[in-house]
Amino acid sequence: MGVRFPSPACPERRSLGASHGAAREADFPAVGVPRIQTQDLTIARGGRVVLRGVELEARAGEVTAVVGPSGAGKSSLLRTLVRLDEPAGGRVLIEGRDAAEVDPCALRRRVGLVTQAPVMLEGDVRANLAYGLDAPEPAALDEAIAAAGLDRSFMGRTARELSGGEAARVALARALTRDPAALLLDEPTAALDREAAASVEALVRALAGRGLAVLLVTHDEAQADRVADARLEVGA
Amino acid sequence: MTQVAVAAALVVLAIVLSRAGGLGLERELATSAVRAAVQLAAVGAIVTLVFEHGGLAAGFVAVMLGTATFTSARRLSGIPDAPLRAGIAIATGAATGVVPMLVSGAFSTTPRELIPIAGILIGGAMVATSVTGRQLAERVRDDLAAIETRLALGVPVKVALAGTVRGAATTGLIPLLDQTKNVGLVTLPGTFVGLVLGGASPGEAARVQLTVLLALLAVEVVAALTVARLAVAGLTAAGERVLPPR
Repeated sequence: MGVRFPSPACPERRSLGASHGAAREADFPAVGVPRIQTQDLTIARGGRVVLRGVELEARAGEVTAVVGPSGAGKSSLLRTLVRLDEPAGGRVLIEGRDAAEVDPCALRRRVGLVTQAPVMLEGDVRANLAYGLDAPEPAALDEAIAAAGLDRSFMGRTARELSGGEAARVALARALTRDPAALLLDEPTAALDREAAASVEALVRALAGRGLAVLLVTHDEAQADRVADARLEVGA
Repeated sequence: MTQVAVAAALVVLAIVLSRAGGLGLERELATSAVRAAVQLAAVGAIVTLVFEHGGLAAGFVAVMLGTATFTSARRLSGIPDAPLRAGIAIATGAATGVVPMLVSGAFSTTPRELIPIAGILIGGAMVATSVTGRQLAERVRDDLAAIETRLALGVPVKVALAGTVRGAATTGLIPLLDQTKNVGLVTLPGTFVGLVLGGASPGEAARVQLTVLLALLAVEVVAALTVARLAVAGLTAAGERVLPPR
């Protein structure tokens, strides 16, 4: 029986400035390899294996759909890719580097996760976008919110009072402020009407057009056909 | 004896009111009263013995510490190794007050002074440990989605949990802060009352009570921060991850 203390590996703050980019390149030196790759990945939940032998590649500029029924382990896969959970077996590679050897904070800035029901943090939208960043430049925040398809006027809105669709876009913008190389989107249109869903699908394509690798979890086969360049079937 | 008889009558009144008011606490009220009577009678006899044999004092303090640890650990449900973490927090907090008091000569190491002072400070550390640790576990369980959102945005677990730790420790310290601010205005604490009833002058009782209350501020802050740190260590894992309380 012993008392453990958490690893102090992560720096407590990281800015959006030039030094951030330099640090990032040092962390992820590989070029021309998949942004995200898994090798024989096994995922367990509560001691039960839910996914086994997952071989995934997500490349820059492409949308890769992860398709499967509810409970197939799609969300668990995304959590494992950003090390919120540890794999039961196999490896995750982020730009060619074993994720287990990458500083977890740097990894999570490099690979942005937007969950199915995004949690808005306290404060306004601007505070949400700036969370965890050291003095971010206002222009960078404006660019992120525009890239998520929202107007600058949203910046002063109380984040926890936004509608589901607005919160989903703010969560996307929040991930973009970390200047990621890849985005993991968990059922981003699940709670939206058809028009809003079409708008988000267009946004997903636009983000891939900006050079991001986008991993799109969906249970909707037709959506995968419309949006994705590649697909991974799980739990079939 | 009249005092005990009147107090016992008041317990009967409480039981009757509980039944009339439909609170359903009759059994617990009766059990608590009987337990308190038995425990205090036993403690009275044991302390008399300890006062006469100084060598037993250290053992008595150890029993107080062990009981406080056991009591706190039961409150820290879901935190791994709760007895170890609670014991460290209570001992560290209590030592923060007891050691300077004894080393400086403010209180002597005779059982008659050591045992009451150690008891009050261990009790204060126990309350701060129980409330802070329990609050922390509950908040991590309830706010897990928000905590993991912060982690997913690339901050270390220490930063992601900072607000949770602050809220838990603050809640753990509120009773003492309120008691200290309102002492003499709303409540007359036990030390003061006991000394006055025991024959000490009100001035002397106030001086001792002030000493205890001020020492408790440091004791409880140290206990709260220690258990918060140890609980966080138990609820996190390598790779900047949170392990939800079981």
